[in-house]
Amino acid sequence: MKKGLLMVSAVLLMVSMLAMGCPPEVEPEQRLVVAMGVEPPTLEPIRMACSPAATVSQHITQPLVYLDVDGSLDPSLAKSWEVSPDGLVWTLELRQDVKFHDGTPFNAEAVKFNLDRFLDPDNAAPFRFLIERITEVEVAGDYTVKLHLDEPFAPLVAHLSHSFIGMLSPTAVKALPEGELVDYPVGTGPFKMYEWVRGEHITLVANDEYWGGRPRLDKIVWEFIPEDATRVMRLEAGDVHHIYRVPPMDVPRLEADPEIEVVRASSVRVIYVGFNCLVEPFDNPKVRRALNYAIDREAIVEFVLGGAGRPSDAPIVPAVFGHHAAGPYEFNPEKARQLLAEAGFPDGFSTTLYHPTGRYMKDVAVAEAVQAQLRDVGVEVELVTMEWAAYLAYLRKPPEEATHTMYLLGWGTVTLDADYGLYALFHSSQWPTAGWALSFYKNEAVDDLLDAARITPDLAKRQATYKEAIELIWEDAPWIFLYDEVQINAQCASVRGLVLHPTERVQAWDAWIEK
Amino acid sequence: MWQYVLRRLILTIPVLIGVSLLVFAMVRLVPGCPAVAIAGVHATPEFVEQVRRDLGLDRPLHTQYFIFVGNLLRGDLGVSTRTGRPAATEIWDKFPNTVELAMASTLVASVIGIIAGVISATRQHSIFDSGSMLVALFGVSVPVFWLGLVLMLLFAVTLDWLPAGGRGGTIEYLILPAITLGAASAAIIARMTRSSMLEVLRQDFITTARAKGLRERIVTYKHALKNALIPVVTIIGLQSGILLGGAVLTETVFAWPGVGRLMVDSIMARDFPVVQGAVLLFAVCFVFVNLFVDVLYSFLDPRIRYE
Repeated sequence: MKKGLLMVSAVLLMVSMLAMGCPPEVEPEQRLVVAMGVEPPTLEPIRMACSPAATVSQHITQPLVYLDVDGSLDPSLAKSWEVSPDGLVWTLELRQDVKFHDGTPFNAEAVKFNLDRFLDPDNAAPFRFLIERITEVEVAGDYTVKLHLDEPFAPLVAHLSHSFIGMLSPTAVKALPEGELVDYPVGTGPFKMYEWVRGEHITLVANDEYWGGRPRLDKIVWEFIPEDATRVMRLEAGDVHHIYRVPPMDVPRLEADPEIEVVRASSVRVIYVGFNCLVEPFDNPKVRRALNYAIDREAIVEFVLGGAGRPSDAPIVPAVFGHHAAGPYEFNPEKARQLLAEAGFPDGFSTTLYHPTGRYMKDVAVAEAVQAQLRDVGVEVELVTMEWAAYLAYLRKPPEEATHTMYLLGWGTVTLDADYGLYALFHSSQWPTAGWALSFYKNEAVDDLLDAARITPDLAKRQATYKEAIELIWEDAPWIFLYDEVQINAQCASVRGLVLHPTERVQAWDAWIEK
Repeated sequence: MWQYVLRRLILTIPVLIGVSLLVFAMVRLVPGCPAVAIAGVHATPEFVEQVRRDLGLDRPLHTQYFIFVGNLLRGDLGVSTRTGRPAATEIWDKFPNTVELAMASTLVASVIGIIAGVISATRQHSIFDSGSMLVALFGVSVPVFWLGLVLMLLFAVTLDWLPAGGRGGTIEYLILPAITLGAASAAIIARMTRSSMLEVLRQDFITTARAKGLRERIVTYKHALKNALIPVVTIIGLQSGILLGGAVLTETVFAWPGVGRLMVDSIMARDFPVVQGAVLLFAVCFVFVNLFVDVLYSFLDPRIRYE
């Protein structure tokens, strides 16, 4: 008995000694780990062209204007902006309290340096087209910039909000050896570049001096894990806090886990089946409308995509400025048959649907679903699967050479402004090879409206113009409007304040981890 | 001996020329224009044209090939269209990781394979023998990505013993990928060791050794195994070459930052300079591993002479 007591007190003593050896309680480091499927190829603004790069870079290098989740354009590095009555000169007033991570002051000279660099044809920035209407960037004061345009271009401010046009410290760029591109960007953002181990991760650390107030996170680690199943397992094992692109079949299991939260957000991409409006029978709008009524979008979204979609109600998604819900087309096979009969095809017809494989989520299965649903109204569709590069080359031919009939494709309005989603695809000046209007659709009223919206600076008027254009396009139906893609991510339930933007970007500057 | 090595080295030249031709043709035979694919959906025709010029695709085919080989000899693989960095840098950065994984899995495969093979041979027709050969059959047949995911599910998610993928720099990150990648090779090595051992154990000098009264352990490991290892070494050599190149799936599943995964990422992005370089590197490694194994023979078995 005595011996036992002795033992117990000895153990207690040891435990208390161990406890005394512990360091005093400190605030644990706020470190967020995000697993993405794709590594940013580069963080150099004049080279960036994909959303993983935009996701990481926007924490470091900021654009002049911030595009909010709801599609509104908010002041950021630019406090305010206004356009001259003729629409040819935009004046931007800049914040005066901003410094780059290397201490270089942010001012009008820095903006000119960055925009000139982005616009320089020799630099061949893939997204130069966003602001190519700018002919001159003028320094009109220490913190005032005037942008001169060759023609009025209303979407300019929306385009300036793009994460690819991030502001780099001119000092840091000029210090680069001749011909070298930026590897570790130096910007004005809430986080600073800390480490990039290629193939593994990028680590950012909080910018204590951030003009918007220091973020609550101390570090963000962006991990690159290409395999979907591995990302899910890393989340389940507690190795990471947030993962991109959860496969639809894993969603129910993750939703049942109390420690995991499934996050959904709309994306900017629409998936559609285009018609070649120059060839029979698709030169008849009745046929095109009929095929729209023949498709059960709800079924495709639920059973093919596992919920990762939303039936399209316009040729652009709701997050895009200028969106107007004209639909969706109801699923009504009876009406489809009736319209086909009116168009002179009471027994339907045969045609071909071209589609890519592995480019979009479940693209082959979606094409097969369209095929099966069209068969119900008497339209026999032969599917032709093509490899992506060959597919693009096949589709992008001038009208006299084009041989496609129906084609499955997607389009992401990455600028979140309707101009980019509608002009390139529906304006008749954009028929290949000039642009991507692969349906050879032409409606002069639509052309006029899209032209007008381009040069109307008044937001309400622009919105009304796009509404009118979308209604006409919807009625003419140069596409089978299918669905908007929905992003499905997942995270630990302890993550707070993290935003999943429609542009497929995770924004973590207001995030923290609840301990 | 050195003459033999020299002759083999000279013989690798036509092989490497063949490889360079194949790699060169590969990119040009891809359907559609690589320039269109690289420039992407949103590109303007001018930008596509610029990419085509940058890639040199506007020149005659034979000129393109000579430029390609000329650059190659200077170690210039071109610039990665995905990252804008030299392709050689991209590949060279990742190569040590692939070698690390290939060596670890060769080690795992050799240890497991030889032990299982020897025990199976010495206890032919026992339960262990049939059991281990059954496992070996499983090891050869099971798809790598499936095995990887199952191991991860078991050891990382359910048991929480090991990390689920990534390369943290410590040995625990290496264990699961090495086992996954080495499984098929372990099975092949086990089967090879077993049959080679069985053959040797039937030979007269083994009977002599036993007749001398040597202990069975000495007979097995000192006399039989040493002689049975020669074909096994060949297999290990060949397998390590395969492991070097076969890491593509394992590296993708485990997010291991090696050349295999780089190759997958580059194929997805149609980053042809990097794909070309990675394929070339794998081919060169395979050729030299083979050469090394052939040379190793003469050291293992003094009876083998190269004339």
